Amino acid sequence: MTEDSIKPITFKVQRYNPEKDDAPHLQEFAVPTSQGMTVLDGLIYIKENLDGSLAFRTSCRMGICGSCGMLINNYPHLACHTQIEEFNSDTLTVKSLPNLSIIKDLVPELNPLFENHKAVKPYILRHDTEEMENPTAEFAQTPKELESFLQFSYCIKCGICMSACPTSASDRVFLGPQALAQCYRYCADNRDDGERERFPSVNTDHGIWHCHLAGACSEACPKGLDPALGIQLLKRRMISQALGLGKKQQPAPVLSPPTETKPKVPFPEFTVTNK
Amino acid sequence: MRNTYLQILQLVTGILIAILLGIHMVLMHLDAILGFFGIDVGEPASWESMIDRAGQGIWAGLYIALLAFIIYHAFNGLRNIILELTPSARTEHIVTWTIIVFGIIVFIWGTYVPIALLVS
Repeated sequence: MTEDSIKPITFKVQRYNPEKDDAPHLQEFAVPTSQGMTVLDGLIYIKENLDGSLAFRTSCRMGICGSCGMLINNYPHLACHTQIEEFNSDTLTVKSLPNLSIIKDLVPELNPLFENHKAVKPYILRHDTEEMENPTAEFAQTPKELESFLQFSYCIKCGICMSACPTSASDRVFLGPQALAQCYRYCADNRDDGERERFPSVNTDHGIWHCHLAGACSEACPKGLDPALGIQLLKRRMISQALGLGKKQQPAPVLSPPTETKPKVPFPEFTVTNK
Repeated sequence: MRNTYLQILQLVTGILIAILLGIHMVLMHLDAILGFFGIDVGEPASWESMIDRAGQGIWAGLYIALLAFIIYHAFNGLRNIILELTPSARTEHIVTWTIIVFGIIVFIWGTYVPIALLVS
């Protein structure tokens, strides 16, 4: 920490060790902050200088890995993507993500999220097994077709949408916005032909029809995705399929390999030689 | 696709309830406005009017249909709420069958009088 520290902020951090504590409690730490400092920087300061036993997840520190989802001042955020001065407050409350059980302190159990994600078969499903096993070329996809699902492929699986979802709060086995939006992402992909395999996993008593369309997932998503939109579009696809409406879209064909290819750019000569 | 069909029915019954309940509300409570347009419905809320309507096939059918739609819409919604708050496979089975049996009882209870009047 440099001399230009602006002011000390009181971090109220949730502590919980399931082997010792009956319930989570808050512990206060005074953290000197400077401009541009993120909540994650504050937590790292605490771990390095005040209490090394504090547990939290972190990896990339730039909003890509989705490890540091936390409840900051009662709103789910990525700690690395949230600057302390945004809150304009002398105190900052940091807790583990709600709707997920706690492993320790600020570390949520993300297994339910990943299990739900796996349940919707988040990969391209096609029936031309031979082409899938031994691909000969690419599947055709226009920029417009890519655009129809592109935003949903930016999901970083941080669990923030699930922790913001009011249905996940009341129904612990609800699939959650992440899995449902990913189900739409693959169903909307024109290379995919797996709706029939995927729909039974979301068409359950704790699946897509339990979404209340509160929109909290879309508001909280740190990557700017709109899972609520994906869920609504998936509902439309399911109703269309159930009523036999709309034209059955054939999966994208395999593009024939290009007959002509541009010559490769030659590798530049080394400017430094070994002595 | 069971849940999808249940949800489609929920949407359809919602629309039908809005239509049929609208007819009911206009007839029962907007008689002054109907009078303004030259339509005389008399005393629609009186006992005689009610028994008279219940004896007419169209009205009895309309009210029986309205009751069926309301029972489905309300009880399916109630089932969804209960299942959301008590998620377990065992509860699901018990809740579903309790709701079905209760819905049938309410439907028979509600339609007994108009059906008896129609038959007699």
